[in-house]
Amino acid sequence: MANVTMSAANRAALSRSPIQRRRPGGFGRWLVLAILMLGLAVTLFPFLVAVLNAIKLPTDYAVNGPVALPRSFSLAGLATFWTEVDYSRKLINSVLISGLVAIVGVVLSLLNAYAIGIGRVRGGRKLLVLLLMGIMVPQESLVYPLYYMAKAVGLYDTIWSVIIIFSVLQSAFGTYLLSAVLTAFPREIIEAAEIDGATRWQVLWHVVVPVLRPTLAVLGTFFFIWTWNEFLLPLVLLISNQNQTVSVAMGVLQGQNSTTEPTAIAAASLLGILPTVIFFLIFQRTLTKGVVVGAVK
Amino acid sequence: MSMLRRLGLAAGLSTLLLAGGAQAQDSKTFNIWWFELPDSAEGVVWQKALDEFKASHPGVTVNFQQKTFIQLQKAGSMILNSNQAPDLLEYNKGNATAGLVASQGLLTPLDDTVKQRGWDKILNDTDLQLARYDENGVYGSGPIYGIPTYGEFVSVFYNKDMLDANGLKLPTTLDEFVADMDAFKQKGITPLAMGGKDTSAQHLLYTLALSKADDTWVHNFQGLKTQLDTAPLLYAAQTMQDWVNKGYISKDATGLMDPDAANVFTSGKAPIYVSGTWNLGAFASTIKTFKWGQFLLPTPKYSVGSTGNLWIVPKGAQSKDLAYDFIGLTLSPKYQTELANEGGVAIAADPSTITNPVGSTAAKLFTDISSKGGLGFYPDWPVPGFYDVLIQKTAGLIGGTLTPQQFVDQLKQSYDEAQQNQ
Amino acid sequence: MAIARGSLGASRAGYYLYLIPGTLGFLALVLCPLIANVGISFTTWKGIGKARFVGIENYERLAQDAMFWGSIGHTLLFIISMTVVPIIIGLILAAVLFDYISKQFGEGLSSFLRAVFYLPQILPVTAAGVLWGWILSPIGITNTVLKSIGLGAVAQNWLGDPTYALPAVSAVIVWIQVGYCLVVFMAGLARVDPSLYEAAELDGATWWQRLGSITIPMLMPEIFVVALTTVIAALKVFAPVYVLTAGGPDNATLVPSYLTYYHFFTTNRVGYAAAIATLQTLVTIVLGIVFIRMQSRQSEEGA
Repeated sequence: MANVTMSAANRAALSRSPIQRRRPGGFGRWLVLAILMLGLAVTLFPFLVAVLNAIKLPTDYAVNGPVALPRSFSLAGLATFWTEVDYSRKLINSVLISGLVAIVGVVLSLLNAYAIGIGRVRGGRKLLVLLLMGIMVPQESLVYPLYYMAKAVGLYDTIWSVIIIFSVLQSAFGTYLLSAVLTAFPREIIEAAEIDGATRWQVLWHVVVPVLRPTLAVLGTFFFIWTWNEFLLPLVLLISNQNQTVSVAMGVLQGQNSTTEPTAIAAASLLGILPTVIFFLIFQRTLTKGVVVGAVK
Repeated sequence: MSMLRRLGLAAGLSTLLLAGGAQAQDSKTFNIWWFELPDSAEGVVWQKALDEFKASHPGVTVNFQQKTFIQLQKAGSMILNSNQAPDLLEYNKGNATAGLVASQGLLTPLDDTVKQRGWDKILNDTDLQLARYDENGVYGSGPIYGIPTYGEFVSVFYNKDMLDANGLKLPTTLDEFVADMDAFKQKGITPLAMGGKDTSAQHLLYTLALSKADDTWVHNFQGLKTQLDTAPLLYAAQTMQDWVNKGYISKDATGLMDPDAANVFTSGKAPIYVSGTWNLGAFASTIKTFKWGQFLLPTPKYSVGSTGNLWIVPKGAQSKDLAYDFIGLTLSPKYQTELANEGGVAIAADPSTITNPVGSTAAKLFTDISSKGGLGFYPDWPVPGFYDVLIQKTAGLIGGTLTPQQFVDQLKQSYDEAQQNQ
Repeated sequence: MAIARGSLGASRAGYYLYLIPGTLGFLALVLCPLIANVGISFTTWKGIGKARFVGIENYERLAQDAMFWGSIGHTLLFIISMTVVPIIIGLILAAVLFDYISKQFGEGLSSFLRAVFYLPQILPVTAAGVLWGWILSPIGITNTVLKSIGLGAVAQNWLGDPTYALPAVSAVIVWIQVGYCLVVFMAGLARVDPSLYEAAELDGATWWQRLGSITIPMLMPEIFVVALTTVIAALKVFAPVYVLTAGGPDNATLVPSYLTYYHFFTTNRVGYAAAIATLQTLVTIVLGIVFIRMQSRQSEEGA
């Protein structure tokens, strides 16, 4: 108890001193903040543009263009997009697909990395490079072969085809990342567990996973968002409207001869990003805690 | 033995089930897709026709799916090559799309149906040019594989209020058109809105080329018959760059897409916009602050335009008769008139029944073009991927990085390569 | 790659079991399609129907395709905007947020800023393309603002002028990529012992000295991960180019993936597209191997 208080006080003292020393440069402090706020504004600006145009009436847009502040207010664009593309259905599909890919992808990555990083199997490095091809291959080149394979096994036009494919593709990055982390995992901990009679399977789930949990959460978050935004393979493999994802539904952004109303495009963009923004805001705390590489050293 | 018997039984059962399933489908369900947007003239009218279809076919379950253009553009051939295709769908006309799937035997030939149902009396030979594809998937000859039900063409949209305010009258010749643009330029207004990295630039270019083109040139060009004769295109390129230099077209056009250019027109910043009839719906509903109209740039015979997208019936469709019933509905005078009244370009409407002036003008102009065999199609059609080449090179022409001669030389290079390798 | 043989090396074989699901998936869904793709590259094929074997014809044509070689040049520039610049900005930003903002203004502001800078990563590129199109169009927001503050001379036809198109697309890519670098780097900084910084501060090291002597060396593993993944992404870059300029004007922003996509889905010259994709994959793999070699050497030195 006393110890803790001591160190807290210590730290407070330590962190106070630099501030005191920097006090003469108080102006610099606000300069840094101002530069950051400028960066913030630049980063958020396109989002603002989306919001401003999504709530305009098409006639307002026709007269004043995308640059002007809205002189009308209408949620019709948002509502139309919602009903026209059966958005709630697409939302469920996207959540299901991205969620399952996040889980399955992380598990696949973990199993691979456990063998490579902890097990240090022979040829592990080479396998790692080979697996990395999953992110190296241009996706366009996979389209035709995957289409014929999906048809052959009866998974064409089912969300399972997309879930399986992306779990494997994403696990390439995951394996690479987790292998780096697990190579640096303290051997003593594992050895201690093995001496206690734990099997490999138990070591994985009761020793390794608890330590890695924050990293796994970050990985899952990445997978979820990446899968959510995938366009080409879902477009080709998910034919029926009831199987399609949000990002495929956003294909209405590209009508023939660009006939889509720009306000509708803004509305679609806004609804297209909203779920991931919400998801990210929920999970962004895990990103703080998640130690990505070399978790324990 | 018993194993074999069980297998046989299972096989027999599943055949029965499958047959039953197919039969049930044959009489009960009708799957139809299109990608026209729900608020477009075609989208609205087809939805009405589908409602009537449901009422007149009470025993049929109708499954309609609103598709997106990009999905059928990228994955259409894969869908048609699977058992997920519907009974009837809208498909993009042209060699790279309808032609490709037709040549692979994935579509139902419709010649007999066209005769039986009397569609040959509604659609003339010009209208059916893009419905026919030969064994190589090239349009113009061979069996009929699709049915067009509307038209499209490129014309000049003008802001009547701006013309009036500057004391100008509607031009009837190309020279008057240029004179009007010059008058606007003198007053400090850039007259021509243009999407320089989109289709409106190449459509103006091709319109200008067609003003110097005869039958032989158009047939050769569109049919990929000979090496490219660049004369009409060179004239078009020179004229267009001249217009840029004189300030009728802004160099900034190379940074604009068609929706941006259309916005320059709808916001009253530019009085003229040369583009296709697909803008009619949006213009009719969003332009409230000025009067506008459309006219055709005068050419000897050909205008940029074509019949619209096709209804196609996949080879494996289960309910072909239902598909034909629906095509018939959309071709009927009732729905053709409805289409024109919604501001669409009807292919076979009785002009006297059209109440909407926008649709009436459009239908009349289209009939004028089509009846003299004057559909010149689009400049990108002969060569697969020519669209992107035209976009890139036209931007160079407008931006001034390519001279008209370099421009046509580079077009000729990719055209002739395709011509040799066909 | 000296792998320390620990005491548990006795029955290492058992670990191979854990590789089965991942490897099977890889074989079926990456390697097989890849081999199929190499096979397709020796044919002319339209994606459906029969393919015709043509030997190395596609590769011969590729060797003379000026558009392809031009696109390779642009890729090198995109490596700068996807990898080099975002890593530099990301490093400085991560250090500022971690070592300055969170101390001066509190943890909350620092995580808020990190979340905001990450947002562009979430935006589907199709949407980003439309929005940036509005901002960078010659009659768009950037130029309107520039003109209104009297800087009309600076206003440009950002995406339509070959001089500015490549830098403009690069700028948008930087906007997208910074967040990824930042999040990974900040996560890495969380494992750095704060006393290191405190000691350096007491020794009178400036902020920039601390960045160079503590932050960057500590973050080397993350820098490698980010560099490898973004270089791979740069070699495959497609979507931002597709939505912003479609490779234009006059092919000024063309990249190999755009050509692949163009031939796969527009001209239906699937064999030729497969040849470009094969070459592209090959280059990426070679680069990836070089990178991983460098990384394992670095981690050995660091260990």
